[in-house]
Parts: sequence; structure tokens; C-alpha cells
Amino acid sequence: MAVVGQSVLRIDALSKVKGEALYPGDINLPDQAWMKILFAGRVHAVIRSIDTAAAEALPGVLAVLTAKDVPVNEYGLIMPDQPVLCGPGSAKPYADHVRFWADQVAVVVAESEAIAAEACKLIKVDYEDLPAVFDPREAMAENAVLLHPDRGSNVFCHYRVRHGDVEEAFKKADIIIEGDYQTPAQEHAFLQPEAGISYIDEEDRVTVVVAGQWTHEDQEQIAHALHLPLEKVRVIYPAIGGAFGGREDMSVQIVLALAAWRLAQRGSKRPVKIIWSREESMIGHHKRHPFFIRTRWGATREGKVIAAEVELIEDGGAYAYTSTKVLGNATVLAVGAYEIPNVKVDAYSVYTNSIPNGAFRGFGGPQAIFGAEMQMNRLAEALGMDPVEIRMRNILQEGSTLIVGTPLPKGVSMPEVVKRTALQAGWIQTEKGWQAPEPSAPSQTHLKRGIGFGCGFKNVGFSFGAPEQCTAKIELRGKAEIEEAILYHSAAEVGQGVHTVMSQFAAEALGIPVEKVHLVASDTARTENSGSVSASRMTFMSGNSIIGAAEAALEKWRNEERPAVATYQYRPPRTTPMDPQTGKSEPNFAYGYVAQAAEVEVDTETGEVKLLNVICADDVGQAVNPQQVQAQIEGAIVQAAGYTLMENFVQKEGRVLTSTLSTYLIPTILDIPEKVDSIIVEDPDPIGPYGARGMGEMPYLPLAPTIAAAVHAATGVWFSHFPLTAETVLDGLGRIEK
Amino acid sequence: MHSAHPGLPEFDYVKPASLAEASAFLKAHVGEARPFMGGTDTFVRMRDGFWKEKYLVDVKHLEGMQDITYDPAAGLVIGAAVNMNRVVASPLVKEHYPLLAEAAHSVASYQLRTRATIVGNICNASPAGDTTGACIAFDARLKVHGVDGFRFEPLQTFFKGPGKTVLQPGDIVVSIHFPPAPRGAQGKYIKLGRNAIGDLSIVGITVLGYPDASSSSGYRFKIALASVAPTPFVPAPAEALLAEKTITPALLEEAAQAAMDACKPIDDVRSSAVYRKAMVRNLTHKALVDVWGRLSAAAR
Ligand SMILES: Cc1cc2nc3c(=O)[nH]c(=O)nc-3n(C[C@H](O)[C@H](O)[C@H](O)COP(=O)(O)OP(=O)(O)OC[C@H]3O[C@@H](n4cnc5c(N)ncnc54)[C@H](O)[C@@H]3O)c2cc1C
Repeated sequence: MAVVGQSVLRIDALSKVKGEALYPGDINLPDQAWMKILFAGRVHAVIRSIDTAAAEALPGVLAVLTAKDVPVNEYGLIMPDQPVLCGPGSAKPYADHVRFWADQVAVVVAESEAIAAEACKLIKVDYEDLPAVFDPREAMAENAVLLHPDRGSNVFCHYRVRHGDVEEAFKKADIIIEGDYQTPAQEHAFLQPEAGISYIDEEDRVTVVVAGQWTHEDQEQIAHALHLPLEKVRVIYPAIGGAFGGREDMSVQIVLALAAWRLAQRGSKRPVKIIWSREESMIGHHKRHPFFIRTRWGATREGKVIAAEVELIEDGGAYAYTSTKVLGNATVLAVGAYEIPNVKVDAYSVYTNSIPNGAFRGFGGPQAIFGAEMQMNRLAEALGMDPVEIRMRNILQEGSTLIVGTPLPKGVSMPEVVKRTALQAGWIQTEKGWQAPEPSAPSQTHLKRGIGFGCGFKNVGFSFGAPEQCTAKIELRGKAEIEEAILYHSAAEVGQGVHTVMSQFAAEALGIPVEKVHLVASDTARTENSGSVSASRMTFMSGNSIIGAAEAALEKWRNEERPAVATYQYRPPRTTPMDPQTGKSEPNFAYGYVAQAAEVEVDTETGEVKLLNVICADDVGQAVNPQQVQAQIEGAIVQAAGYTLMENFVQKEGRVLTSTLSTYLIPTILDIPEKVDSIIVEDPDPIGPYGARGMGEMPYLPLAPTIAAAVHAATGVWFSHFPLTAETVLDGLGRIEK
Repeated sequence: MHSAHPGLPEFDYVKPASLAEASAFLKAHVGEARPFMGGTDTFVRMRDGFWKEKYLVDVKHLEGMQDITYDPAAGLVIGAAVNMNRVVASPLVKEHYPLLAEAAHSVASYQLRTRATIVGNICNASPAGDTTGACIAFDARLKVHGVDGFRFEPLQTFFKGPGKTVLQPGDIVVSIHFPPAPRGAQGKYIKLGRNAIGDLSIVGITVLGYPDASSSSGYRFKIALASVAPTPFVPAPAEALLAEKTITPALLEEAAQAAMDACKPIDDVRSSAVYRKAMVRNLTHKALVDVWGRLSAAAR
């Protein structure tokens, strides 16, 4: 291949390095007004009344909008359970309820940001506080206060897996390992806080220029809330400063549209702009779901796991966001990358008055895999068996059946990634099986070193029967030869490099140099629906759509059409939802596979854990752009290292105490491992574009349990929760006097 | 409620021609005017809306503010406006007060240290200040210009609470004065943060030790602790033990324990109080062992 497989220069590199690329906050339009959002500042309350008179009277204020101004006052990616603006006066029942601290209550549009902020303070909101609940296990109780009274229960999703005969299998087990684990929330901490600008365009469309992950879904949610036909709403993405799942749900999109639209109705066609501060961003958008995991595994003396029982309780926070989908993924991954014949899973999504939780790189995978890998590592210890050896005895392979009762799609490379990682980390294969290396020697006696191992897998693309497609349009220009190919595509470039990869696909499929491909991207008025950049899906999905469009356009080109224009919609193999009783399903059409080894050094006087090095083998099928693949592996490991060791999102009774980047810390350049050894495995996916698999999330998945295993190897202590901050570790070592 | 999109509020920039003029201006605008050095605390506090000064008074250019001088008899003088990178790089500081260079180097990043000053760190009076302990250990004094002229303020009595000092309206610190370092002194600063660079201290441990014929142990140790009390904290019982009893490995442990017992830190998002206490013991011990190792090696 000429272009695919090459580390071509990112097409956006120059403009971003030179500061020319415009992010939403950089875009200014003549005569723009500014918007500010009033957050509730209550965790659970009913709004009795809102008095906006004083705010409206403030000179420079153009409009104050509340619930009564929202035609259909509801939204939500998978169920419309959240009011656009909380308060009385809309038809939606219980829209006058506030359910978390940063629920949006009103928006002010004014001549300046300062005036808008001042006016927010003048809005008088009469609240009646309600009792609140923050622990999902308490929220599940019969008599718990209900967040959504119309639903009768705070449990808004329950999945069941009943695979084989668990009771019988446990009877046959030689050893049983029980575990009780907790995983924490995490902030996305993308570089660019939420921002956007809205206006009425030349074709009278309510237009929002904003950063997101799926233009057409934003468009739909805006149209729904404003009760407008889809074609009256337009969404455009400029440069986007990171996403990681944190832009899948709405933040400023609907209220921006609402503001420009209401202003226009009042005779003032002015653009409206908003930029959230870092603090507003941290309290305003969702986090990674905390999970409570209770599990029990039964195995034979030979290390074959024959039974597993798992309970997953997912803290959804105040609204559903993507919780049910996250829970579905976690359910499929509940026993990790192993073939276990008898499995029972009960998984629950639960409302609480904490900040909503939603999509975040890994999407339920890191949580489920933490539980599974902790179990596997503890089982290995209990049996005196090497962690790689025991994995190889249980690992998913070609033809393996998932716990949801159907085989994995072809191209299962789990054993390969485990083997490649183990060999690179210094494991050796002896007659008695795999044997771990010794950790390197620390410089002082109070420093202890250990090596840990972990692995995992995850779906590529939407799951459980969700409609899945991706559409590309290609226009070929020129006379005898193709001089220019214009690719129209909605895929969001959130920094991951997908626009470069898409250009490479187009160039490869058309047989032209990548410089001849020009991209028109992410504008619902010009590009077709691509689905979201999430679920590690966009390389896979865009690639297949572009190859299809290129072939169709070339066909027309050969028939002398000038320009030759073709649109192609790619649809992957169908998936099916889980059976409500047994979980039986064909959950996914493609997967990615990953394994990791990590070495740590623990300071037994302070509890500090230093991540010395990480080895990661990830099967990407075909590295379309190897440099970007390596960057994704390294980036995922740094982000997962923050999740495991440092990032501590603290909420006290629903109030975020770590709402700045000086209180919520993410790793700095000096905190990341000295060395990340990225092993790019290329075992083609039979239905991937040129064999490519998705990979953006995979290297994130197993790092937390891998580090926990390394810390155990160093100290002899198993940590069942994290982040493994210095204090948590020292406490676990029993070295803090209370 | 949460702050509006942060930006520096409007203020007037004032650049007086003399210290007298500066002090007079500050006195005439009590509560509205503030002197600044690097501004690394000031601008952040103003941006976040905690400080609402109408005037920022730039005194960095005034006499003596930018100088580092050393005299074997009188000691070291560092002008208030000397940034920390200059302190870290100064051959005079490295030779005679290496502990000060070590403490200054622990502050945030190179970029920040091109602005941040030691005097700003002290006047900000945060219990987490990383350079304050070294200044206390060396018995430094501040030269202050007020409406009544110059005076010296010792650091022992300078701090009144978080963000509070003995400085009065019109006061400007001109320089910080270190007496000659005790002969044979060895020092150590250990900063424990939640990350490797940029976080404020969970605890900060300053230890300075030197031979002293007047104490029973033959040595004197100065210890100062950051982030364990409302002001920089000196654990007097630990210092006393090390002056009074013969120094042995067991005594170093005992002194570390005494330091821990003497302080009453608080819980916050960075750390719990109990962890802070444990860290005071473990890291004071570590610093003492390190300093004692070098002192006893020098004595051999
Ligand atoms: C990103 C970041 C990281 C940081 N990390 C650290 C760290 O690791 N450790 C640490 O200790 N600190 C840290 N700080 C805090 C700060 O940088 C230090 O306290 C620094 O030493 C302050 O010095 P400055 O010259 O910038 O002070 P300024 O902001 O100029 O002044 C601070 C205070 O002192 C007063 N003041 C200043 N000069 C005088 C004077 N001559 N006379 C009277 N009053 C005066 C001011 O009015 C103000 O109240 C950090 C700050 C930032 C923004």
C-alpha cells in the first residue's frame, strides 16, 4: 500500500502549531452578544419560582431565558430525562426539579460577558430543598428518595447474564476468590473548555458552531428541544480541543441555539457566544462512572476458571447520559478477556444526586476489566501460578464463546497480544509454563519494585442493535487525471488525527497522493451522518465508508462523469440487544485486543508510587498511520496512569471540591513513565478497512489492574480501590496511625 | 456560586519613583493598593476575584530590589525583586546557602520561577510556601520600608495567620538579609506534593544542622515545617531534643516523632491530617538522617 501504513504528516499539524486553527472560543462574529448560564447550586430541589425582572432590567441585558422559553424542555443521548433548563412553566413533568449542582436554570444574553454574569446574580430563584442521595447502593433501596419520581425507582437499567450453570460449577471449584472493588470518577480534562457561538445563517437555519463528537446527534437534540424540523438546525465543528467522551452529551449546544433563536424571534438577529471557564467545565460536564463491583470466581487447581458471579453497580449520577450503554459494555466485559463457561452477571445503572456520569474513553471497559483482572491476578497468587500462565489457560481465542452466548467475530488475537507483551517484558516460556521476570533493583531499601500484568478487549463500533452506519461523499475533479478529490465527511477531529487517517484512506482507495485529497468536514449542511467519534469506531467506520465512496466515484470517473460524485453508506454486520433474562445477544461486530505489563516503584515511607515503565501490545489490525497509533497508545497510558495513581475527583454531598486543575491534578511530564514500549500488532480484522481495527480506547483498558498487580508484587498488598494516591497506598500498607 | 469566566479585572498600574512615594501611596490607599513582585500569587488571586485592588504598585525597579550581594561578615542580601531562578543559579547562594537554592528549586517550574520571588513567597504568608522554611532556618530578617522609614522584621514573629503578616499599610519589603551561615552547616528540603511538579506541598520539611559548642549535643538543628499549621511551623521540642541529647539513630527517630507530635495539621483536598502527621515524622526523619550523615562525615 502506498499511503495507508505511512506516518504521513497530520493534515492539521501546521495550522495548529502556528495557532491558525480556530477553536470554538476563538471565533468571533460582528455584533455578537454573550451568554452566561445560571447553575442551580443545589443538589436536589424543586424550583417554586424564578424572578428574572431585576436581571432583565440591568442595562445591557438582551434576554433572560428560563424553562418556559424551551418548547420541548427535555434532552438526553439515550433517553430525554434532563430538562434543558430546570424550572416551572414547561409542559414536561418534573422539569422544575433540580437534581445536581450544575443543573442549568437560566441563561442570560447580554452585551458583554461581565454584564451577563452580573445579571445571573440578580435572578431570584425560590428553591425548596429535597433530601438527596449520593451512594448508588443506598439509592437502590426501596425507600430511597426518587430523583425522577415518574420512574418509580432510581435503578434505570438492569442487565442480566445467565450463562451455563453457575451453582453447579461453583460446587466443582477447587478454589473460590471473592472480590469487592470500587472504581473512581474521572474528569476528561480536555484542553479546551466548552465554548461555542450560535447565529441564524443565510438560509434561516439556527446554526451552532461548537465542539462535539457527533454533529448530526447534536443537530437532532437541538431540533427536538426547539421543536424545529431537522433541516432548520445546523451544527458545525471547527477545531476541537480534545473530547475523550466528554463532548458526547450536550453542554452549551441547546442553550446556544435557544438563545440565538429567541433573540431572532424578538427581532434581533445577533450571534450569541459563550465560553465556559475551566471551573464551569469541571462542574458542568459528566465524568467517568464510578462502579461498585462484587464478584466471586471459582477455578480448578489447574487454574481453569469455571464459574463467575458478578454484580456491577454503576453510579449514573443525576441523569442517564450514556449510562445504559456503558453498563452494557461493562456487562459483556464483566469477566474480562477470558472464556468462562458458567457466568452470572447482574448489572445496574442507578441515579444519584452526584454529577452525571457518562462516556469516557473505555466506556465501562476500564471498570469491568479492573474487577476481572484483579480477580485473575489474585487467583494466580492463590494458586501459586504465574499471571501470564493462568491467563493463557483461560484466554479468549478464535472460536471462543462470549458470556452472552455467542462466538466472537473472526480475528481474535488475544493470545497473541498477551504473548507479545509477556516476551517483551522478560517473561520466559519454560517446560512448566510461563515464568515472570524479576523486577529491577531499587536504589534504597525503603523503595520496593514490582511488575504487574493485565489484558483486555473491547468492542469497536456501536453495540446491541443500535443503528450503526457511516456515510462518505467523494467528488473527483479533473480532466484526464484526477486533480483533486473532495471528501465530504462529518467525522469529528477531536485531536486524535482522524481527518488525517480519512485523507489517507481516500488517497489509498483512489490511488492518488494524499495532498490531492481535500476535506470538507463536520457541517450538517454539507456532510452526511458519520455517527460519533466514540467506541473506537471512526477509523473503522470512516475507512469503510470512504473506500465505498471512492470505488463508486471511480466507477463514475471511468464513465467520464466530471466531476464524478458518489455517496456511500457503510453498514457493518448487524448486532442484537441482550435478552432481558439471559443476556443472549450478538453484541458487537468487531473488537480490539490489548495486553500490558508495568513496573512500579513504591516508596514505603510516603506511599508514592512511581510508574517506571509500561509495555503495551495492541492489535490494531493495520496501523493506518503508525505514528498516530503510537501517540494513541502513549496518550491512553498517560491518561490511564492519571486515573490509577493521581486523579482524585472529590465530591462532598454532590458539591465538587476539585473544580480547578490545581485541586484536580492530572499527570505532568515528570509524572509519566520514563518509557512506554508500544508494540503495534497487526493481525487484520477481516471486515476492517485494509484490515484496520479500532484502537483509541484499548490501551487505556487494563492499566489500572496492571499497576495494582505491580504494587502488590512490590508490597504484598492488594488494593481494591483507587486512585492509588500516596496516602491511599501508605494507608493500605498499614503505616498511617489513626 | 462559581466565578464568571475569569479574567484580570481592571486596575491601575502605579510605578512610584521612590520608596517614600511608594509607601505614601500605599498608606493613602489602604485596602485599595498592593505592592507586587513577580505577581504569581497576586494576579491569580485577582483573576479569581478574591482580591479587588484598584491599584497595583510596581516597586521592582526601586533601589536594592534587584541585587544579590554577599559579605563574609554581614552575610547575604537578596533584593525583594530577585526572581527564584536567579537565586537558584547564584554562585554565592550555592556556595554559602545551598539549602536556600534547593528550596527555591522546588517551587513549581522554571517558567514560574522566572517571575516568582522569595520575598513574594514570604509576604504571601501561605503555610505551604516552599522557601519560607529555609529563610527561617537561616534566621533571615526582612528589611522593610514604611511611612516612618526603614526597619528590620525577624521571620520568627512575622507570620500572623494564612495570608496575614505584621506588615502595616505603607510597608514594602526591600530585601531579605541572611546572617553568615553557621560554619559547617548542612541542610535538606523535602517537598511532598501530589505530583512531581507544580502542586502545593502536602508537607514541606526544612532541616538545617551545624556544629555548635554551646549545646550539649555539640550540634544545633533548625527545623521548619510547611503546610501543617496556619503559619510556617517550627517544632521546638524536636529542636530541643537534638540540642540536648547525644545524637544517635534512635534520637533522630525520637526527634522526628516529636516533630509529628508537635503539629496539628488539617484535612483538605490534597491530604488528610493523619497522613500529613505521618509524613512529618517520616520525612523529618529522612531529612535528619541525610543531614546528620553529612555532618558526621565532616566531623570524621
Ligand atoms: C502555577 C503556580 C505554581 C506555584 N507553585 C508554588 C510552589 O510550588 N511553591 C510555592 O511556595 N509557591 C508556589 N506558587 C505560589 C507563588 O508562585 C509563590 O508564592 C511566589 O513565591 C510568590 O512570589 P511573587 O513574587 O510572584 O509574589 P507576588 O504575587 O508579587 O506577591 C505575593 C504577595 O506578597 C505581597 N508582596 C510582594 N512583594 C512585596 C513587597 N516587596 N513588600 C510587601 N509585600 C509584598 C503582595 O502584595 C502579595 O500579597 C505557585 C504559583 C503558581 C501560579
